[in-house]
Amino acid sequence: MIEKTKMVFPCNNHFRLRTSDLKQALELALSRGGEFADIFLEHRITRSILMEEDIIKETSENIILGLGIRVIKKDQTGYAYTNDFSESKIKFAAEAAAAIASSTEVKTSPLKLKLRPIKPKKEVAVVKSLATSSELQKKLEIVQKAYNSALKFDPVIKKVQVAYGESSQQVWIVNSEGLSIKDTRPMVKLVVQAIAEKNGRRESGFYGGGGRVGLEFFSNQMIPEEIGQEAAKEAYLLLEAIEPPAGEYPVILAPGHSGVLVHEAVGHLLEGDFIRKKTSIFWNKLEKQVGSEQITIYDDPTIPGLRGSYNVDDEGTLPEKTLLIERGKVKGFLQDRLSARWMKKILNGHGRRQDFTYWPVPRMSNTYIDRGEYSADEIIHSVSKGFYVSRLSGGQVEDSGKFTFSVTLGFMIEDGRLTRPVKQATLIGTNLDILQKVEMVGSDLEFGLQTGTCNKEGQDVPVSEGCPTMKISRMTIGGVR
Amino acid sequence: MKSETSNNNLRQLAERLVQYGKKQGADEIEVTLYDGLEFNVDVRLGKIENLVEAGSKFCVLRVFKDKRAASASSSDLGISTLQTLIKNAIGRALLTQPDEYAGLPAPALFKVDYNSLKLYDPEVARMKPREKIKLAQTAEKIALEDKRITNSFGASFLTNEFRTVLANSNGFTGEYLQTYCSLSLGLQAGQGDNLVEDYWFSSKRHLKDLASPEEVARKTVQRTVRHLNPQKIKTQNVPVIFEPTMTSWLLAFLFSCVSGMAVYQKTTFLTDRLGQKIGNDLISVIDDGLLPARLGSRPFDSEGVPTQRTVVIERGVLKNYLCNTYAARKLNLVSTGNGDGNSVVPNNFYLEAGTASPEEIIKSTEKGLWLTKAIGQGLNPVTGDISRGAFGLWIEDGEIAYPVSEITIAGNLGEILTSIEAIGNDLEFESSICGPTIKVAEMTVSGI
Repeated sequence: MIEKTKMVFPCNNHFRLRTSDLKQALELALSRGGEFADIFLEHRITRSILMEEDIIKETSENIILGLGIRVIKKDQTGYAYTNDFSESKIKFAAEAAAAIASSTEVKTSPLKLKLRPIKPKKEVAVVKSLATSSELQKKLEIVQKAYNSALKFDPVIKKVQVAYGESSQQVWIVNSEGLSIKDTRPMVKLVVQAIAEKNGRRESGFYGGGGRVGLEFFSNQMIPEEIGQEAAKEAYLLLEAIEPPAGEYPVILAPGHSGVLVHEAVGHLLEGDFIRKKTSIFWNKLEKQVGSEQITIYDDPTIPGLRGSYNVDDEGTLPEKTLLIERGKVKGFLQDRLSARWMKKILNGHGRRQDFTYWPVPRMSNTYIDRGEYSADEIIHSVSKGFYVSRLSGGQVEDSGKFTFSVTLGFMIEDGRLTRPVKQATLIGTNLDILQKVEMVGSDLEFGLQTGTCNKEGQDVPVSEGCPTMKISRMTIGGVR
Repeated sequence: MKSETSNNNLRQLAERLVQYGKKQGADEIEVTLYDGLEFNVDVRLGKIENLVEAGSKFCVLRVFKDKRAASASSSDLGISTLQTLIKNAIGRALLTQPDEYAGLPAPALFKVDYNSLKLYDPEVARMKPREKIKLAQTAEKIALEDKRITNSFGASFLTNEFRTVLANSNGFTGEYLQTYCSLSLGLQAGQGDNLVEDYWFSSKRHLKDLASPEEVARKTVQRTVRHLNPQKIKTQNVPVIFEPTMTSWLLAFLFSCVSGMAVYQKTTFLTDRLGQKIGNDLISVIDDGLLPARLGSRPFDSEGVPTQRTVVIERGVLKNYLCNTYAARKLNLVSTGNGDGNSVVPNNFYLEAGTASPEEIIKSTEKGLWLTKAIGQGLNPVTGDISRGAFGLWIEDGEIAYPVSEITIAGNLGEILTSIEAIGNDLEFESSICGPTIKVAEMTVSGI
């Protein structure tokens, strides 16, 4: 018999490496003429629970352990990684990364490198009861509660799937400028998918919550029953939903998750690498007016509890709330070390990576449109015929500024009121055009479901986004009517 | 690089972990070990931008105890970590509920001949970094000679060498080694705020099958500049021609709808449709894990089930769902060798080619959209609904009139399958899901 469900892993030094080992590797990494080197060490434990068909079907426990060594020379990056921490493998990785700087003359004199440990200034995780240290039984109860509440919402709900996930990532970043910083990043997530069926028609609904929070989140912030019911409610509403209209309409975005629009339409194109490479249409627009004066946009990795937050980015920089757009004018870019150096800008802590097998690139964290002056009612009343976006499932953007986002649930607006629910639709636009068409921004800023993940160049990182109710004068809706 | 001979250490570790699991009380246990070498170079504007060379190992395992399942994975291959993961998994399994369908597959009656699959190319393993860098640089250089191209996202050359070792407590032990190489290029054209972009790539298991840098450059340039100076169009219902990359995403969506996991969960509109006519006579869709040298081929799936050729749709009739062992048991079917952990993946999933050339298909279209690029999600397997952002070329009187952008296409996969009017002869295996050019009778194209 198993007497305890608490998982046993020694958690002091997963890396079993000394500072002197890392110092040696950094010296080797720079031995071919590189200008900068860093090492990212990662230990992550991730656990998940899946419930469907009335039973707990599956639990899993996953460990990521490894390190990545990066060497930069000008705008060139050499990268190597390993999950074998033997001296020979780390040496091999350091040499492979060093090869980017192809100086044949091998420097033998050791760097006068002294690693100075620093600590993050702030703790973004809001945790009383750390999920990864809590008993499995507690989490099974959370999952079952969410499951049952979704299933019992209405007889049309035929099927429910609940997924719970938790992780704790420990990072240690050292670099050739002497930085040494460690951090621990906890995360939890609970998501529910519900399928409703009536007269041969099937629809699915989704809801979830979590963030850099403890297990208590599911008793004092968002209870599992609420998550289950919201997912069921969406599926239920969609059964009655009509097909989306096709063509151009005024569009109103619900507060919260509609922030996906900012993420796609603006955020990506302000990432430093696209600016540096001049592939983003924003590369020459710093201090230029690109949108309506209604819009102010921030990216803030320091908001407590949010999924996109961190105490230190993945290259050791302490992050800052970054002003991107102020009253329609471009004010800043999201920087990682490489882009900031190249563009001679200050670091703002947006260098992120999926895991140790990737080098960092500029990324968003929690991106949001700041609150405006209108009430949600005023905004909705201003539209006689239009489309209200209630929930979004994601989006995509090209460097040229064309973007889409997918609406899972919308409503028609008729004579200033929300009327019939509308099912799946895609909205498409060009970012400069949409930014200019933002007519009204509400005062009801909210952050969306804390379940989002952003993919860029094959790397997934957790993010979140926020916005108040917002009106766009016209946008193309891809429907069938 | 490694030799092609068997890696005894990995095999021994896998077998040792299986024995350990049994000793700890697991009824069944399955251990998979991966050992990979990766090389990647990104070149941009002639210079190396990123150079990656790395090796890593990974372990994935599943245990079953009293018909209860638990799984684990680790990139820490320390024996004490792996043993702890096994013990923890058995402990967790006991806290969950029994599932009569859970468990390993029965031992297979036959084995696929690894050599006939031609998954490994020693030439890929032997390539020197400077040859790889050269290929990427050459492709980009040729493309940038075209004055219409104004910026580059860069060219990349990537190689992978990958060993998979699988052992389970039903007596299965197997392993295979595979290579992969790809050359890709992304370009931008246009001026000011009117930019367009596209990419092209070639990916193969064998170096000799890979497209030349000249061909990749030519195709990427052509794909990029054709979108220059797009117009907006009015919302209308017209025929839509999918070029092969577009057919591929449509097929990826179809795959998610014929996956046995989605079928038993009833999260696909194709639930309970086996044996029924779901498309017209033109449509035959195959999943085949045995095609020599193709990207989706493998001798056995993640559960050790031998791969096979499975007819999914035959002249419009839904013949088979694609299953792992679990989905097959739930549906009272047999695993088709599409297992991937707890989910189902395609092997080589493709739409059989037709006879018309893409040019003939375009010529046959009085007015319509030639779909060349789609962005965004907007695929709902529960209903089959499709709604995506799109780019393309407008067709008038059988000829390309002008590029269009800022449009969306909407339709339903079920309706599309019954209204495909033509299938092209241009099927190429550049990914594990692929199809030729197709023409769909009518979809809604939204514009202004």
